Amino acid sequence: MRYLIKNGSIIDPARRVATIGNVLVEDGKVVHVIDLADLTATPEPLDEQTEVINARGAVIAPGFLDLHAHVREPGDEHKETIETATKAAAAGGFTTLCVMPDTRPAIDCAAVVRQVREIARRRGLVRIEPIGAITVGRAGQTLTEMAELVEAGCVGFSDEGNAVADSAVMRNALAYAAMLDVPIMAHCEDTRLTRGWGMHDGAVSIRLGLPGYPAAAEEAMVARDIALAEMTGAHLHICHVSTAGSVALIRAAKARGVRVTAEVTPHHLTLTDRWVLGNLDLLRGEGKSAQRGGRDRADINDEGLDLPSRLRPTLLPPYHTSTRVRPPLRTEQDIEALIEGLRDGTIDAIASDHEPQSAVDKECEYRLAAPGISSLETALGLALTLVHRGKLDLVDLVAKFTEGPATVLGRAPATLRPGSPADIVIFDPDSPWTVDPAKFFSKGRNTPLAGQRLKGQVMLTMCRGQIVFRRGNFGVGTGALQQASRLEGILGGENEE
Amino acid sequence: MSMPAGAGTVRNRRRHVLDLDDFSAQEIEEILETAVSMKEVLGRAIKQVPTLRGKTIVNMFFEESTRTRISFELAGRALSANVVNFTARGSSVEKGESLVDTVRTLQALGADILVMRHSESGAPYLAAQYFRGSVINAGDGRHAHPTQALLDLFTVRQRLGRIEGLKVVIVGDILHSRVARSNLWGFTRMGASVTLCAPRTLLGPESFWKATWPNLTITSNLDECIKDADVIMTLRLQKERMEAGLLPSLREYSRFFAVTAERVARAAPHCLVMHPGPMNEGVEIMPDVAVSAQSVIEEQVANGVAVRMALLYRLSGE
Repeated sequence: MRYLIKNGSIIDPARRVATIGNVLVEDGKVVHVIDLADLTATPEPLDEQTEVINARGAVIAPGFLDLHAHVREPGDEHKETIETATKAAAAGGFTTLCVMPDTRPAIDCAAVVRQVREIARRRGLVRIEPIGAITVGRAGQTLTEMAELVEAGCVGFSDEGNAVADSAVMRNALAYAAMLDVPIMAHCEDTRLTRGWGMHDGAVSIRLGLPGYPAAAEEAMVARDIALAEMTGAHLHICHVSTAGSVALIRAAKARGVRVTAEVTPHHLTLTDRWVLGNLDLLRGEGKSAQRGGRDRADINDEGLDLPSRLRPTLLPPYHTSTRVRPPLRTEQDIEALIEGLRDGTIDAIASDHEPQSAVDKECEYRLAAPGISSLETALGLALTLVHRGKLDLVDLVAKFTEGPATVLGRAPATLRPGSPADIVIFDPDSPWTVDPAKFFSKGRNTPLAGQRLKGQVMLTMCRGQIVFRRGNFGVGTGALQQASRLEGILGGENEE
Repeated sequence: MSMPAGAGTVRNRRRHVLDLDDFSAQEIEEILETAVSMKEVLGRAIKQVPTLRGKTIVNMFFEESTRTRISFELAGRALSANVVNFTARGSSVEKGESLVDTVRTLQALGADILVMRHSESGAPYLAAQYFRGSVINAGDGRHAHPTQALLDLFTVRQRLGRIEGLKVVIVGDILHSRVARSNLWGFTRMGASVTLCAPRTLLGPESFWKATWPNLTITSNLDECIKDADVIMTLRLQKERMEAGLLPSLREYSRFFAVTAERVARAAPHCLVMHPGPMNEGVEIMPDVAVSAQSVIEEQVANGVAVRMALLYRLSGE
């Protein structure tokens, strides 16, 4: 099958290209790219077998690479499966998912790696790359057979969800992984400082009486792991950085040449601990028209009425467990530092930390709720709020979903250069939509964004040259009448050749 | 039987009592006024009015409590409600039933008002999402104990005639105290100036408190801040704070943070000594202070019934 993706804004960070053009895909590969500004370019060869995808008004980019997803299979298939997670990934524009080893059993031996890869081969819509556990059973004591795990296909190691508390074990893990030239992906948390935690340790936790998860609990471990990486020469990758202090530590480490990389999640870039405070008005009155009440909301940043580029937590009641995530949602100051970290290259990648949970795991008292946000399907829309607020350039944002994570894995970035695998995402950065968890492909409906208006969504995703996700009839050539009404405005009933 | 006078003719509809943070000064004022009338009812030979006849109140206590539970029970009965007590022990909670399922069950059984004590901060907010009637928070984790704060406000106003302009010192395990937080809302909204006094390990960073209550005074020097205090409220020190390493010893805590006669002597002459109970006498408060003329600890308990009646009355929404 051949596809001609036409008239899109091609953003290919690996080639530093952003232009209007066409991409021709054949036999799973990009075979031709035309810059429409280049009048000397040869037009792509067309024939009857070529499906034309009209991408006018949309961005064509290499498929996104997610460094950090929890897919729950094997062991917790009621929360998610590789099949549902990869469907969600496709809908979110991701063509590769690195899957964390906190499954049951953990991905801590070659047999489990093979099992995961086999399930992925049979039922996965996008590519799956397993992350192996650092220690057997993620128990923090005995190193896994890392060499064999790499041989079986692991691209990195992490005890995600658990920090490796014992510094000697972490030192050995880093040294051993350095031998194999794969990153140790560290979940940085001093659990002695987070015992019984409810949320970020700050003004809101004090007000709500929830035990705090201090910024220092993350930063202390980031500092330790950087010191150990420096000592061993290993590649340390810091998972889900959430505090300004961590950004500063990583920036300083990079400046003196430590092999450290970092990722941040879309939710830590956009949501704050105020979201736990929620909106009391939702519990007031007789249901339908909740009146504005007497709750002192002066301390809540409601200034940004310019939705959807600025989100507001007012759709959730107080203590809503959808806001519970580890590390916890932090503060505005942390968000500013994280964004600066993205801009100056301190933070290499945006990773989903997709953590689907079942309703039972969330429908309970705040501190008892399982942490996590189902984020694959909202990652791009949420991250785009930074672009719409003028905080980040669109090309840089795409790079953080493509080139950045590839660098973390030590591989050449995905690109749209001819000859590359046809892993492609087409997204409309301006298309407004309302988050409806009931429509998620993921089994995890746990998101604090339900009902929020976001701007920007994936229209079509191609993996290995196959269309794995298509929104409505997106891009269907002459069938303007079949287009979603929103698209009609953009396409304007234009004639196709 | 006629309704007590002053029971408030203009009442805004309030559905839940989850915290004092959404109470205006006027609403608190109205509740305290109603409580005066309720206290009068409780002084009658027949301590009962028909306000809540036919209504069912479920006292849902997931955590130990003596005074709050009995106080709510008496308040409900004095208003002629059917009062059902529910404790986590011996219920299906022990079989693993979730809070949400429990609330749904009580809903199906016809409960109108849930009075809820729970060890987890925020649990009443969860219940309120699933319950069609009213939820009253009778203490949730470290978060809030709004009826305790209301009865403290009532007690102070009865004794000192006002709340505005008073200097209130709350001393003890502030960090883990729902009583401190609710009193902070209540006293500051009524115009008192509040000082929190505790060792740093039982307080947390000053900036965290000031973000919500900017006019608060925070200190670890009881001898200093007790000067000119109109009200001293001391809090129970849980023994597990010691075990968690938050304090070097009870002895040291007591030496620097206990409310003693010498310290009270440095406060204003009319200064009230309060404690939400249960007390550790000899730890946070000395026995002689607890029974001194300045102590209103028993009055707090007695006033609790009238204040809770006032609150239930307000929720009845006739």
